[in-house]
Amino acid sequence: MNIENTQSQMRKGILEFCILSIIRRGEAYPSDIVDEMKSANLNILEGTLYPLLTRLKNSDMLTYRWVESNSGPPRKYFSLTEKGLTFYKELESTWNELANAVHTLANKTDSMPDTTNQNPSF
Amino acid sequence: MKKIININFHGRVIPIEETAYDILKQYVDSLRKHFANEEGRDEIINDIENRFAELFSERIQKGSTCITDDDVNAIIVSMGRPEDFEQEDVTTNNHSSSSHAGSSTGGSQSASQQAYVAEEPHRLYRSENDKILGGVCGGLAAYLRIDPAIVRIIFTIITFGGFGSGILLYIVLWVVVPSRTLSVNIRKRLYRNPENKVIAGVAGGLAAYFHIEVWIPRLIFAFPLILGIITSIFRHTWWHDFDPTPAVLTGGFGGTLFITYIILWIVLPEATTASEKLEMRGEKVDLESIKNTIKSDLEGFKGRAGQMGTEMKEKAQQFGQEVKKATQNFAYETGTTAKRSGSGLGHAIGVLFKAFFLFIAGITAFALIMVLIGFVFSGVGVFPFKDYILTGFWQNFLAWTSLILFLAIPVIALLTWLIRRIMGVRSRSNYLGYAFGSLWTIGLICFIIFVSMLVNNFRTRASVEDEVPMTQPANGKMIVKVAEEKTSYYGSDWFGFNWDNDPPFYSLNEDSVMMNTVRVNLIKSKDQDYHIHRIKFSHGNNPGVAKDLANQIQFNISQTDSVLYLAEGFAITPRQKFRNQQVLVVIEVPVGKRIMMERNVDDYRWFNIEINRRHRGGWELDWNDDWNNSYSWDSNVEYVMTDHGLERTDKKKDNSDEEGDNQEKNNGYRYKNKTDSFKQKSKKDTVQVKSVSEAMNTVPEKEKAGLIAEKQTIKPIPQNNPRQKEGADHELSAFYILSKMM
Repeated sequence: MNIENTQSQMRKGILEFCILSIIRRGEAYPSDIVDEMKSANLNILEGTLYPLLTRLKNSDMLTYRWVESNSGPPRKYFSLTEKGLTFYKELESTWNELANAVHTLANKTDSMPDTTNQNPSF
Repeated sequence: MKKIININFHGRVIPIEETAYDILKQYVDSLRKHFANEEGRDEIINDIENRFAELFSERIQKGSTCITDDDVNAIIVSMGRPEDFEQEDVTTNNHSSSSHAGSSTGGSQSASQQAYVAEEPHRLYRSENDKILGGVCGGLAAYLRIDPAIVRIIFTIITFGGFGSGILLYIVLWVVVPSRTLSVNIRKRLYRNPENKVIAGVAGGLAAYFHIEVWIPRLIFAFPLILGIITSIFRHTWWHDFDPTPAVLTGGFGGTLFITYIILWIVLPEATTASEKLEMRGEKVDLESIKNTIKSDLEGFKGRAGQMGTEMKEKAQQFGQEVKKATQNFAYETGTTAKRSGSGLGHAIGVLFKAFFLFIAGITAFALIMVLIGFVFSGVGVFPFKDYILTGFWQNFLAWTSLILFLAIPVIALLTWLIRRIMGVRSRSNYLGYAFGSLWTIGLICFIIFVSMLVNNFRTRASVEDEVPMTQPANGKMIVKVAEEKTSYYGSDWFGFNWDNDPPFYSLNEDSVMMNTVRVNLIKSKDQDYHIHRIKFSHGNNPGVAKDLANQIQFNISQTDSVLYLAEGFAITPRQKFRNQQVLVVIEVPVGKRIMMERNVDDYRWFNIEINRRHRGGWELDWNDDWNNSYSWDSNVEYVMTDHGLERTDKKKDNSDEEGDNQEKNNGYRYKNKTDSFKQKSKKDTVQVKSVSEAMNTVPEKEKAGLIAEKQTIKPIPQNNPRQKEGADHELSAFYILSKMM
């Protein structure tokens, strides 16, 4: 068991949720998403973001439009679809449950009931 | 000092350092490999490239003159390399394995090779990621741990040498062997070695590839060349030597190696980068070995540059790191197509269908190549004839140019394409194609000019006629024989070429070719005597030349008692040239007298090339000897001349009804002079009558004049002029004369 692996698994699990929650607020440009996450202290490689966005887009969670840019080629701005919104809502509720559960568990300070005496003795 | 190139990157012109461009390209390639099994691969890569383009533009707007290595590296770091994604991806796969099956293979590929081999039993698969058709060769190569190119070349050789058996073997393996994505264990490619070269480094590259001393391939390439030069010094130029066999062998052998060298030169890329040099030697490509190469490179450099060494070494190591990543990516090269997930029978049927079409296509291509090669060789094979056909420098020049460019170029181009495909070399430019195309066009033009020059040589036809003096045979019967000469007759086997029909010549040598384009025609004598006319024909580019050539034909006819001996043939010398010389022997048989042809008269081969206004430039090779312009005869049969024509003395019917019909028709014309019906005659008849006219062209002038006087409707006969428009009249009048004559 290595710590980095567990950490990255944790991050990975919430990645889609985080991305969707950024896009939920309005059209977003991938590098803006990266910056946004960085400012929230969640580091993600841009290279991993693109395939994720494409997968989400291909499963109709996201849609995009081209916006002309004066500093290069036209940019792709992503936004949520109806389906993406319901998907996000579900993720959100799951996240809340999880966060609650994790929070409760992590914050419990009382010691576990002593299990040594509970051995079945029949 | 670095070279800056301009690239068109997503609609922007970006000035970029060449090395930075290489880094970028390798990065994109590595992405392409990483996302190979991803559904939206192109889109993902497009998006990433777009981002690069945007960042580049920003950098240039900020005032940078060009994109440097550092710029590209910085962007790559923020984007992340495929190895970095994988760490994250592996975890995604664990809980959503079905949707990311593609990237899991990518992940396992990047696992260290030892681990990969251990994890998977070593057995034969078709390669999913290194394939041209079905991945059979790639799989075999991975199984045997050799360069796929070698396996492919061997397969091609089996296919060509074994008449398509390689294709069958391939199909069987394709159907039987399962396919899977294979890691490439050994990266070893043929390169040209720029460090060790005489001409282009082909031998050096081969030596490096096979780990042999460089002089071995060099000697193999050079030996026939040296031998060829020596022999050609001894025997002048090789085509002037008349016995072509040894010269063709050495010439052909050397030529093959020469062409091989040229093709390898064209096909093989030069090993320029450190990773390519490593691939060339087949060493394991990893960081250590790259470092070593760089170091050894630098040691040479150090000698010259002195103290700069350490500084440079650091840079080299840095570079080594980059190259290492690049070469790792190299390992997954060659386009992987979308995974075919067909299973079981359906898959096998699909493969069989594909294989069937490929088989057909392969056989067709194979046959085409063979035909082309056959043309080239027969072109070379005809060269003993060349002195008899070609005149002057230009014709020789054009003949060779069209042979080489028109016929050999497609063969070389095809081979080049094939080998390129096998070696997986992508063409960097179209220059080669243009070069081949234009050379071939030149060849085509030469060929057309050449043919028209040749045709010109056969434009006019002339004939010379004389009557052979003879004594009348006492017993009223004449026997016609071919005088057997002492010169040996080599039959139809001529330099290994078998003619379907017997050739129209025999005994070909440097000084002369013996032609036997001789025909014997029997007609009815107008008086009570036998008469023999000897008519010699020749073509030429003008009537004078043609007449001259016809005059030069020496065809002996001699007589012993009642036996008429005809010469076996006549000789043409290279100075005279072959201009379709022919000899027609017309024997007039008086009514009531008998004649018999010996069997060997059949040995004559009438061979006719006809070029006239109607089929301009067309060649009419008439090997068919069955058309007759007089009475048809069979050899070894005794005939008697009657008022109605020739009749067999044994009263048997002629074996061919058709012949009888023809004769009847001819008789009809003879007696009725039906000029109107002339034009309605079948083509075959026209030919027949024409030949009669040709025979008649040569009737002595005064006799002709007399005949013409008899019939005022007849125009004067244009001499030696079968191509004229008034041909019909000409033929008609000649025909009329002939009929009168009988």
